[in-house]
Amino acid sequence: MLRRMIVISWRAILKNRRRTVITSTAIGIGLASLLFTDALFAGLINFMVNTATETWMGHAQIHGDGFRETGRIALTINDPAGVMDKLEGDTLVRGFTGRLIAPATLESSMELRPITLTGVDHTTDPDVTSLSASIAEGGYLTGDSTELIIGEKLAEDMELQLGDIAVLTAAAADGGFSSSLFIVVGICSFNSEKLDRYSAFVNMEAAEDMLALDGEYHEIAVLFADPQAAEDHGERFRRVYGVEGNTAEIWPVLQPQIHSMVQMVDVSVTVMAAILFGLVLFGIVNSLFMSVYERMYEFGVMKALGTRTAVISGLILLEAFWLGLTAIVIGSVIGWAVVSYFGAAGLSFGEMEFTGLALNRPIYPVFEAGRIWIYPLITLVFTTLAGVYPGVHAGRLNPSEAIRRSL
Amino acid sequence: MKEKPVIITRDLKKTYHDGGVPVEAVRGIDFTLERGEFTAIIGPSGSGKTTFLNLVAGLDSPSEGEVELSGRLISSMSGKELAAWRRDHIGFVFQAYNLFPVLTVEENVEYVMLLQGVGARERHERVMRILEEVELADMADRLPSRLSGGQQQRVAVARAMVSEPDLIIADEPTANLDSTTGGALLDTMKRLNEETGMTFLFSTHDEVVMERAHRLAVIRDGRLDSGGQGK
Repeated sequence: MLRRMIVISWRAILKNRRRTVITSTAIGIGLASLLFTDALFAGLINFMVNTATETWMGHAQIHGDGFRETGRIALTINDPAGVMDKLEGDTLVRGFTGRLIAPATLESSMELRPITLTGVDHTTDPDVTSLSASIAEGGYLTGDSTELIIGEKLAEDMELQLGDIAVLTAAAADGGFSSSLFIVVGICSFNSEKLDRYSAFVNMEAAEDMLALDGEYHEIAVLFADPQAAEDHGERFRRVYGVEGNTAEIWPVLQPQIHSMVQMVDVSVTVMAAILFGLVLFGIVNSLFMSVYERMYEFGVMKALGTRTAVISGLILLEAFWLGLTAIVIGSVIGWAVVSYFGAAGLSFGEMEFTGLALNRPIYPVFEAGRIWIYPLITLVFTTLAGVYPGVHAGRLNPSEAIRRSL
Repeated sequence: MKEKPVIITRDLKKTYHDGGVPVEAVRGIDFTLERGEFTAIIGPSGSGKTTFLNLVAGLDSPSEGEVELSGRLISSMSGKELAAWRRDHIGFVFQAYNLFPVLTVEENVEYVMLLQGVGARERHERVMRILEEVELADMADRLPSRLSGGQQQRVAVARAMVSEPDLIIADEPTANLDSTTGGALLDTMKRLNEETGMTFLFSTHDEVVMERAHRLAVIRDGRLDSGGQGK
């Protein structure tokens, strides 16, 4: 009987070809929109996380206890050599770089500005951050103790150009003050207010001299081979490196606003999906009711001949299932085509800024393997469930009434 | 020993409520149909013929009175029991053919046997046998839309008869056919009645049917005027 029901339901779908095509295409377009939206948001999240982590922060960081909360320059990483040895042998880690960070002032002949002084290890930094890649004018650090890189907005504010001299002044760890002359060798552009307007980068040795911190680090930024490792192995990272006076944290904790944004995007997609599936539900219920009313005599005759209520209801559910299956084929093909196209070409948002990050590069929609099957599956389940009400209605038809009304 | 009648109705009544107004469609009919009869219920439109047939067939439940079909009181059966009873004991031929448009002739005819759980081979053999009887064996693979009205009604007759029910109920089977086609269909049904001894109950106001019926029972205003008792 089940085989015959499958045959009847499939042929009924084929018989009402126009309605099947219209309904399936409508649902399919909805599904395609959802797949595209999900892929776009996935691309946006990738962009945001990459921008936040690979630009400067890294996927994780190690600090001396209390440094993140207070910024006190005396709170350096305990046993930095030992920590770096461990990082060196860690298979999850793709690269790491140590930094010194201190509040300072930068003085030009025109202006004096408060900035964050960052001592950079020019040998390891390019493997972890995009500082070297963000140089808009001039060049990257080579190890010379007078080299200074500043952000383009800071350069603009202070009217500094390549080759100009500026004075950095900072409080040293030994309690004294230290001032040094630097030559602007590079102007960088991260498209980040914090890095472009309030940061100055010097070689590690120069920072060590100014801050009287020889061989010490305030921060080690770490990049994982797999960005997802930050969330998948965050606990392990904390356990291994957050010991002996040090604190280890992953980027969702270091940049909670980005993490919240990622979660908000997830919620947004879920809400959109719920709205879409609600529409799908009503669309299918409507279509199936039309089908039930058009074929009332058929169901009336079925009942008259002794077909059980459950069989008739099951028939409608099967029709809904076929509609759903047709819709997910259409939707998946359209969704895949659109995502593939924009995944290669990118989608440009102009100069839009989103949660403090400039979307100045194209976003590349990307299918996430763990999610791509969910929407078609939910569509199929929802579409089939949409058949329940019309199915029960058809199953409960009074046969004599149904036959009479169809005449 | 005389066989039990196929149908006995006792003081059968049916009242509908049309927009809150009670309509007495059947007003106390006593009727008996013996096995092997070829009987027509006649009467003007709106006289209650179809309502009476629906009650006899278990498609509707009576407001009062009893319906006994092959010795079982069907008027007190539950919906589920009635469905099974109809499947096993009654064949239907409807005015508008009412074949399943997405099933072929063979699939339409075997439908009831499928519900009964008859095996595929037996189904096929019985379907082909009855299709030969109604001269449609060569059209077994066709969809109903590719058949004429007369052919479709012959398929409906084959569907009604293939499971050898106690009773075949035909509600105005010739209403949508021209007189020649209707006459030919009735001749086929009459022949099958004579060959198999199956019982036929028609509702009609077509002379083609009346001419061939063993007995005419006349319903007027929901009451049986004449012909209530069988042979």
